Amino acid sequence: MRKYILPLTLICIISSFFLVFQLKTQAKNTNFNPLSQKSLNLITIIKNLEQEIETQENQIEAMRNQLNELQSQNNSGKLQDLRQEIIKAKIDAGLTAVSGKGIVITLDDNNEGLIAVPNDDPNKYIIHYDHILSLVNELKIAGAEAICINNQRLINTSEIRCVGNVILINMTRIAPPFIIQAIGSPKLMTESVSLGQLNILKSSNYPILLEEKEEIIIPAYKGELQFEYAKLQ
Amino acid sequence: MRLVLPIMGLILGAYIGSTLTFQLPAVYIKYMSIAVLASLDSVFGGIKAIMEKNFDGATLLTGFFTNALVAALLAYLGDRLGVDLYYAAVFAFGVRLFQNLAIIRHHILTSFKNIKIFSGDDHERQ
Repeated sequence: MRKYILPLTLICIISSFFLVFQLKTQAKNTNFNPLSQKSLNLITIIKNLEQEIETQENQIEAMRNQLNELQSQNNSGKLQDLRQEIIKAKIDAGLTAVSGKGIVITLDDNNEGLIAVPNDDPNKYIIHYDHILSLVNELKIAGAEAICINNQRLINTSEIRCVGNVILINMTRIAPPFIIQAIGSPKLMTESVSLGQLNILKSSNYPILLEEKEEIIIPAYKGELQFEYAKLQ
Repeated sequence: MRLVLPIMGLILGAYIGSTLTFQLPAVYIKYMSIAVLASLDSVFGGIKAIMEKNFDGATLLTGFFTNALVAALLAYLGDRLGVDLYYAAVFAFGVRLFQNLAIIRHHILTSFKNIKIFSGDDHERQ
Protein backbone atom coordinates (compact mmCIF):
# COMPACT_ATOMS: atom_id res chain seq x y z
CA MET A 1 0.00 0.00 0.00
CA ARG A 2 1.26 3.42 -0.83
CA LYS A 3 2.04 5.68 2.09
CA TYR A 4 -0.43 8.38 1.14
CA ILE A 5 -3.53 6.21 1.04
CA LEU A 6 -4.31 6.23 4.75
CA PRO A 7 -3.83 9.95 5.53
CA LEU A 8 -5.71 10.88 2.38
CA THR A 9 -8.55 8.54 3.32
CA LEU A 10 -8.72 10.06 6.77
CA ILE A 11 -8.82 13.59 5.35
CA CYS A 12 -11.44 12.51 2.83
CA ILE A 13 -13.66 11.09 5.57
CA ILE A 14 -13.40 14.22 7.68
CA SER A 15 -13.84 16.69 4.85
CA SER A 16 -16.81 14.93 3.29
CA PHE A 17 -18.35 14.62 6.73
CA PHE A 18 -17.89 18.36 7.29
CA LEU A 19 -19.20 19.13 3.84
CA VAL A 20 -22.37 17.08 4.15
CA PHE A 21 -22.96 18.21 7.71
CA GLN A 22 -22.62 21.83 6.69
CA LEU A 23 -24.87 21.33 3.67
CA LYS A 24 -27.50 19.77 5.91
CA THR A 25 -27.30 22.59 8.44
CA GLN A 26 -27.41 25.26 5.76
CA ALA A 27 -30.40 23.62 4.08
CA LYS A 28 -32.26 23.88 7.37
CA ASN A 29 -31.65 27.59 7.77
CA THR A 30 -31.65 29.25 4.44
CA ASN A 31 -31.39 33.02 4.85
CA PHE A 32 -29.62 32.47 8.12
CA ASN A 33 -29.28 35.54 10.25
CA PRO A 34 -27.27 35.30 13.47
CA LEU A 35 -29.26 38.12 15.01
CA SER A 36 -32.60 36.43 14.48
CA GLN A 37 -31.09 33.25 15.84
CA LYS A 38 -29.95 35.15 18.88
CA SER A 39 -33.40 36.55 19.48
CA LEU A 40 -34.87 33.09 18.98
CA ASN A 41 -32.55 31.82 21.67
CA LEU A 42 -33.63 34.68 23.89
CA ILE A 43 -37.28 33.85 23.28
CA THR A 44 -36.73 30.27 24.36
CA ILE A 45 -34.86 31.48 27.44
CA ILE A 46 -37.71 33.84 28.31
CA LYS A 47 -40.29 31.13 27.76
CA ASN A 48 -38.40 28.71 29.98
CA LEU A 49 -38.03 31.33 32.68
CA GLU A 50 -41.72 32.15 32.51
CA GLN A 51 -42.55 28.52 32.90
CA GLU A 52 -40.25 28.34 35.88
CA ILE A 53 -41.90 31.41 37.39
CA GLU A 54 -45.29 29.82 36.93
CA THR A 55 -44.32 26.61 38.66
CA GLN A 56 -42.73 28.53 41.48
CA GLU A 57 -45.79 30.74 41.84
CA ASN A 58 -47.92 27.64 42.11
CA GLN A 59 -45.52 26.33 44.71
CA ILE A 60 -45.79 29.56 46.67
CA GLU A 61 -49.55 29.38 46.51
CA ALA A 62 -49.58 25.81 47.76
CA MET A 63 -47.22 26.68 50.62
CA ARG A 64 -49.31 29.69 51.49
CA ASN A 65 -52.42 27.55 51.69
CA GLN A 66 -50.55 25.12 53.89
CA LEU A 67 -49.46 27.97 56.12
CA ASN A 68 -53.02 29.24 56.37
CA GLU A 69 -54.19 25.81 57.39
CA LEU A 70 -51.53 25.52 60.07
CA GLN A 71 -52.34 28.98 61.36
CA SER A 72 -56.04 28.24 61.58
CA GLN A 73 -55.35 25.16 63.68
CA ASN A 74 -53.95 27.11 66.62
CA ASN A 75 -56.78 29.45 67.48
CA SER A 76 -56.58 30.00 71.20
CA GLY A 77 -56.69 33.36 72.97
CA LYS A 78 -54.09 35.81 71.82
CA LEU A 79 -53.23 33.82 68.71
CA GLN A 80 -56.75 34.51 67.49
CA ASP A 81 -56.12 38.24 67.54
CA LEU A 82 -52.79 37.84 65.83
CA ARG A 83 -54.43 35.80 63.14
CA GLN A 84 -56.99 38.49 62.53
CA GLU A 85 -54.13 40.93 62.18
CA ILE A 86 -52.37 38.69 59.71
CA ILE A 87 -55.50 38.39 57.62
CA LYS A 88 -55.94 42.14 57.62
CA ALA A 89 -52.30 42.67 56.63
CA LYS A 90 -52.67 40.15 53.85
CA ILE A 91 -55.72 41.92 52.49
CA ASP A 92 -53.80 45.19 52.60
CA ALA A 93 -50.86 43.65 50.82
CA GLY A 94 -53.05 42.06 48.16
CA LEU A 95 -52.15 38.52 49.10
CA THR A 96 -55.75 37.35 49.28
CA ALA A 97 -58.49 37.15 46.71
CA VAL A 98 -61.12 39.77 47.41
CA SER A 99 -64.62 40.39 46.13
CA GLY A 100 -67.01 43.29 46.12
CA LYS A 101 -68.75 45.70 43.84
CA GLY A 102 -66.86 47.76 41.33
CA ILE A 103 -66.29 48.30 37.65
CA VAL A 104 -64.83 46.33 34.75
CA ILE A 105 -63.16 48.15 31.88
CA THR A 106 -62.42 46.18 28.72
CA LEU A 107 -59.92 47.76 26.33
CA ASP A 108 -58.73 46.54 22.99
CA ASP A 109 -56.59 47.76 20.12
CA ASN A 110 -58.39 49.77 17.48
CA ASN A 111 -58.02 47.08 14.80
CA GLU A 112 -60.90 48.38 12.70
CA GLY A 113 -59.35 51.81 12.56
CA LEU A 114 -56.04 50.37 11.42
CA ILE A 115 -57.75 48.28 8.73
CA ALA A 116 -59.58 51.38 7.50
CA VAL A 117 -56.32 53.33 7.20
CA PRO A 118 -53.74 50.62 6.52
CA ASN A 119 -50.84 52.93 5.75
CA ASP A 120 -51.11 54.91 8.93
CA ASP A 121 -48.76 54.47 11.87
CA PRO A 122 -50.01 51.39 13.77
CA ASN A 123 -48.81 52.94 17.01
CA LYS A 124 -51.81 55.25 16.87
CA TYR A 125 -54.18 52.30 17.01
CA ILE A 126 -52.82 50.09 19.76
CA ILE A 127 -53.27 50.33 23.51
CA HIS A 128 -50.04 51.48 25.10
CA TYR A 129 -48.88 50.87 28.62
CA ASP A 130 -49.31 54.53 29.53
CA HIS A 131 -53.01 54.34 28.68
CA ILE A 132 -53.37 51.58 31.22
CA LEU A 133 -51.15 53.35 33.70
CA SER A 134 -53.31 56.49 33.49
CA LEU A 135 -56.49 54.47 33.86
CA VAL A 136 -55.12 52.72 36.92
CA ASN A 137 -54.08 56.05 38.42
CA GLU A 138 -57.55 57.44 37.87
CA LEU A 139 -59.08 54.36 39.45
CA LYS A 140 -56.80 54.77 42.44
CA ILE A 141 -57.64 58.42 42.90
CA ALA A 142 -61.31 57.42 42.91
CA GLY A 143 -60.59 55.10 45.81
CA ALA A 144 -60.21 51.72 44.13
CA GLU A 145 -59.38 49.19 46.81
CA ALA A 146 -58.23 46.33 44.64
CA ILE A 147 -57.30 46.34 40.97
CA CYS A 148 -56.36 43.58 38.62
CA ILE A 149 -55.51 43.62 34.92
CA ASN A 150 -56.05 40.38 33.04
CA ASN A 151 -56.10 38.64 36.43
CA GLN A 152 -52.77 40.14 37.50
CA ARG A 153 -53.39 41.69 40.89
CA LEU A 154 -51.82 45.12 41.28
CA ILE A 155 -49.94 45.48 44.55
CA ASN A 156 -47.49 48.06 45.77
CA THR A 157 -44.60 46.60 43.78
CA SER A 158 -46.53 45.91 40.57
CA GLU A 159 -45.10 47.47 37.45
CA ILE A 160 -46.92 48.44 34.28
CA ARG A 161 -44.32 48.61 31.62
CA CYS A 162 -44.05 48.44 27.86
CA VAL A 163 -41.99 45.46 26.65
CA GLY A 164 -42.18 45.45 22.86
CA ASN A 165 -45.64 44.52 21.68
CA VAL A 166 -46.94 43.40 25.05
CA ILE A 167 -47.20 44.93 28.50
CA LEU A 168 -45.44 43.65 31.55
CA ILE A 169 -47.41 43.48 34.78
CA ASN A 170 -46.08 41.58 37.80
CA MET A 171 -43.29 40.33 35.51
CA THR A 172 -45.96 38.65 33.39
CA ARG A 173 -46.59 39.58 29.81
CA ILE A 174 -50.11 40.82 29.13
CA ALA A 175 -51.62 41.11 25.67
CA PRO A 176 -54.84 42.79 24.52
CA PRO A 177 -57.73 42.69 25.16
CA PHE A 178 -57.07 44.20 28.56
CA ILE A 179 -59.68 43.64 31.23
CA ILE A 180 -59.21 46.01 34.14
CA GLN A 181 -61.24 45.08 37.19
CA ALA A 182 -61.44 47.38 40.17
CA ILE A 183 -63.27 47.08 43.46
CA GLY A 184 -64.49 50.33 44.96
CA SER A 185 -67.28 52.80 44.56
CA PRO A 186 -68.58 52.14 41.02
CA LYS A 187 -70.01 55.63 40.71
CA LEU A 188 -66.85 57.43 41.75
CA MET A 189 -64.55 55.28 39.65
CA THR A 190 -66.75 55.57 36.57
CA GLU A 191 -66.78 59.33 36.90
CA SER A 192 -63.05 59.51 37.43
CA VAL A 193 -62.08 57.48 34.38
CA SER A 194 -64.82 58.89 32.17
CA LEU A 195 -63.56 62.40 32.75
CA GLY A 196 -59.98 61.41 32.05
CA GLN A 197 -58.20 58.74 30.13
CA LEU A 198 -61.27 56.78 29.09
CA ASN A 199 -62.66 59.84 27.39
CA ILE A 200 -59.43 60.35 25.47
CA LEU A 201 -59.39 56.72 24.37
CA LYS A 202 -63.01 56.89 23.33
CA SER A 203 -62.38 59.94 21.19
CA SER A 204 -59.63 57.95 19.45
CA ASN A 205 -62.22 55.26 18.62
CA TYR A 206 -60.71 52.48 20.71
CA PRO A 207 -63.25 49.75 21.47
CA ILE A 208 -63.99 50.28 25.14
CA LEU A 209 -66.53 48.72 27.43
CA LEU A 210 -67.20 49.99 30.93
CA GLU A 211 -69.49 47.99 33.17
CA GLU A 212 -70.56 48.54 36.76
CA LYS A 213 -70.91 45.27 38.60
CA GLU A 214 -72.32 44.18 41.90
CA GLU A 215 -69.86 41.36 42.39
CA ILE A 216 -66.28 41.28 41.18
CA ILE A 217 -63.73 38.74 42.31
CA ILE A 218 -60.13 39.89 42.19
CA PRO A 219 -57.49 37.16 42.55
CA ALA A 220 -54.60 37.26 45.00
CA TYR A 221 -51.09 38.35 44.04
CA LYS A 222 -49.32 35.18 43.05
CA GLY A 223 -45.69 36.15 43.49
CA GLU A 224 -43.63 36.49 46.62
CA LEU A 225 -43.06 39.68 48.55
CA GLN A 226 -39.48 39.90 49.58
CA PHE A 227 -37.71 42.78 51.21
CA GLU A 228 -34.01 42.58 50.76
CA TYR A 229 -33.04 46.18 51.42
CA ALA A 230 -35.96 47.67 53.35
CA LYS A 231 -35.63 47.09 57.08
CA LEU A 232 -38.11 47.77 59.84
CA GLN A 233 -37.40 51.27 61.22
CA MET B 1 -7.34 1.53 -8.06
CA ARG B 2 -5.16 3.65 -5.80
CA LEU B 3 -7.99 6.03 -5.05
CA VAL B 4 -10.54 3.41 -4.02
CA LEU B 5 -9.92 3.81 -0.32
CA PRO B 6 -10.05 7.66 -0.33
CA ILE B 7 -13.28 7.57 -2.37
CA MET B 8 -14.73 5.03 0.06
CA GLY B 9 -13.69 7.46 2.79
CA LEU B 10 -15.58 10.25 1.05
CA ILE B 11 -18.71 8.12 0.91
CA LEU B 12 -18.30 7.02 4.51
CA GLY B 13 -17.89 10.63 5.70
CA ALA B 14 -20.92 11.73 3.70
CA TYR B 15 -22.91 8.88 5.18
CA ILE B 16 -21.93 9.77 8.76
CA GLY B 17 -22.66 13.44 8.08
CA SER B 18 -26.11 12.72 6.68
CA THR B 19 -27.17 10.26 9.37
CA LEU B 20 -25.94 12.30 12.31
CA THR B 21 -28.95 13.95 13.95
CA PHE B 22 -26.85 16.24 16.12
CA GLN B 23 -27.74 19.85 15.36
CA LEU B 24 -25.00 22.44 15.39
CA PRO B 25 -26.07 25.70 17.07
CA ALA B 26 -26.66 28.14 14.24
CA VAL B 27 -24.18 30.62 15.70
CA TYR B 28 -21.32 28.26 14.91
CA ILE B 29 -22.25 27.62 11.28
CA LYS B 30 -19.83 30.31 10.21
CA TYR B 31 -16.92 28.58 11.90
CA MET B 32 -18.01 25.23 10.56
CA SER B 33 -17.97 26.59 7.03
CA ILE B 34 -14.36 27.67 7.51
CA ALA B 35 -13.52 24.19 8.73
CA VAL B 36 -15.15 22.82 5.58
CA LEU B 37 -13.02 25.11 3.43
CA ALA B 38 -9.86 24.16 5.32
CA SER B 39 -10.56 20.46 4.91
CA LEU B 40 -11.27 20.84 1.19
CA ASP B 41 -8.04 22.79 0.88
CA SER B 42 -6.20 19.95 2.60
CA VAL B 43 -7.72 17.34 0.29
CA PHE B 44 -6.62 19.19 -2.82
CA GLY B 45 -3.27 20.01 -1.25
CA GLY B 46 -2.79 16.29 -0.57
CA ILE B 47 -3.66 15.34 -4.14
CA LYS B 48 -1.29 18.01 -5.43
CA ALA B 49 1.49 16.67 -3.20
CA ILE B 50 0.89 13.15 -4.52
CA MET B 51 1.24 14.42 -8.06
CA GLU B 52 4.39 16.32 -7.22
CA LYS B 53 5.67 13.22 -5.44
CA ASN B 54 6.49 15.06 -2.21
CA PHE B 55 3.57 13.76 -0.19
CA ASP B 56 3.99 13.52 3.56
CA GLY B 57 1.17 12.13 5.69
CA ALA B 58 2.20 13.93 8.88
CA THR B 59 2.36 17.30 7.10
CA LEU B 60 -1.06 16.76 5.61
CA LEU B 61 -2.74 15.76 8.86
CA THR B 62 -1.17 18.43 11.04
CA GLY B 63 -1.79 21.01 8.34
CA PHE B 64 -5.40 19.99 8.15
CA PHE B 65 -6.12 20.24 11.87
CA THR B 66 -4.11 23.38 12.56
CA ASN B 67 -5.56 25.12 9.51
CA ALA B 68 -9.14 24.30 10.43
CA LEU B 69 -8.71 25.16 14.11
CA VAL B 70 -6.71 28.33 13.66
CA ALA B 71 -9.04 29.57 10.94
CA ALA B 72 -12.09 29.00 13.12
CA LEU B 73 -10.32 30.61 16.06
CA LEU B 74 -9.31 33.62 13.99
CA ALA B 75 -12.86 34.00 12.75
CA TYR B 76 -14.11 33.86 16.32
CA LEU B 77 -11.52 36.41 17.43
CA GLY B 78 -12.54 38.60 14.51
CA ASP B 79 -16.14 38.40 15.60
CA ARG B 80 -15.15 39.50 19.10
CA LEU B 81 -13.01 42.34 17.77
CA GLY B 82 -15.53 43.47 15.18
CA VAL B 83 -13.10 42.74 12.33
CA ASP B 84 -14.29 40.28 9.73
CA LEU B 85 -11.25 38.00 9.85
CA TYR B 86 -13.66 35.36 8.60
CA TYR B 87 -13.30 36.74 5.10
CA ALA B 88 -9.52 36.65 5.35
CA ALA B 89 -9.67 32.92 6.06
CA VAL B 90 -12.20 32.34 3.28
CA PHE B 91 -10.02 34.33 0.91
CA ALA B 92 -6.80 32.53 1.84
CA PHE B 93 -8.33 29.08 1.59
CA GLY B 94 -10.21 29.95 -1.56
CA VAL B 95 -7.07 31.21 -3.34
CA ARG B 96 -5.08 28.18 -2.23
CA LEU B 97 -7.85 25.86 -3.31
CA PHE B 98 -7.90 27.28 -6.81
CA GLN B 99 -4.11 27.26 -7.06
CA ASN B 100 -3.97 23.61 -6.02
CA LEU B 101 -6.74 22.79 -8.46
CA ALA B 102 -4.82 24.54 -11.24
CA ILE B 103 -1.63 22.63 -10.43
CA ILE B 104 -3.52 19.33 -10.33
CA ARG B 105 -5.10 20.15 -13.68
CA HIS B 106 -1.70 20.95 -15.16
CA HIS B 107 -0.28 17.67 -13.92
CA ILE B 108 -3.18 15.70 -15.29
CA LEU B 109 -2.97 17.56 -18.58
CA THR B 110 0.77 16.93 -18.97
CA SER B 111 0.48 13.25 -18.13
CA PHE B 112 -2.42 12.99 -20.56
CA LYS B 113 -0.42 14.78 -23.27
CA ASN B 114 2.58 12.51 -22.71
CA ILE B 115 0.43 9.44 -23.20
CA LYS B 116 -0.99 10.97 -26.34
CA ILE B 117 2.44 11.86 -27.74
CA PHE B 118 3.71 8.37 -27.10
CA SER B 119 0.71 6.76 -28.70
CA GLY B 120 1.10 9.13 -31.66
CA ASP B 121 4.71 8.11 -32.04
CA ASP B 122 3.66 4.48 -31.94
CA HIS B 123 1.18 5.16 -34.64
CA GLU B 124 3.74 6.79 -36.89
CA ARG B 125 6.14 3.95 -36.45
CA GLN B 126 3.64 1.39 -37.60
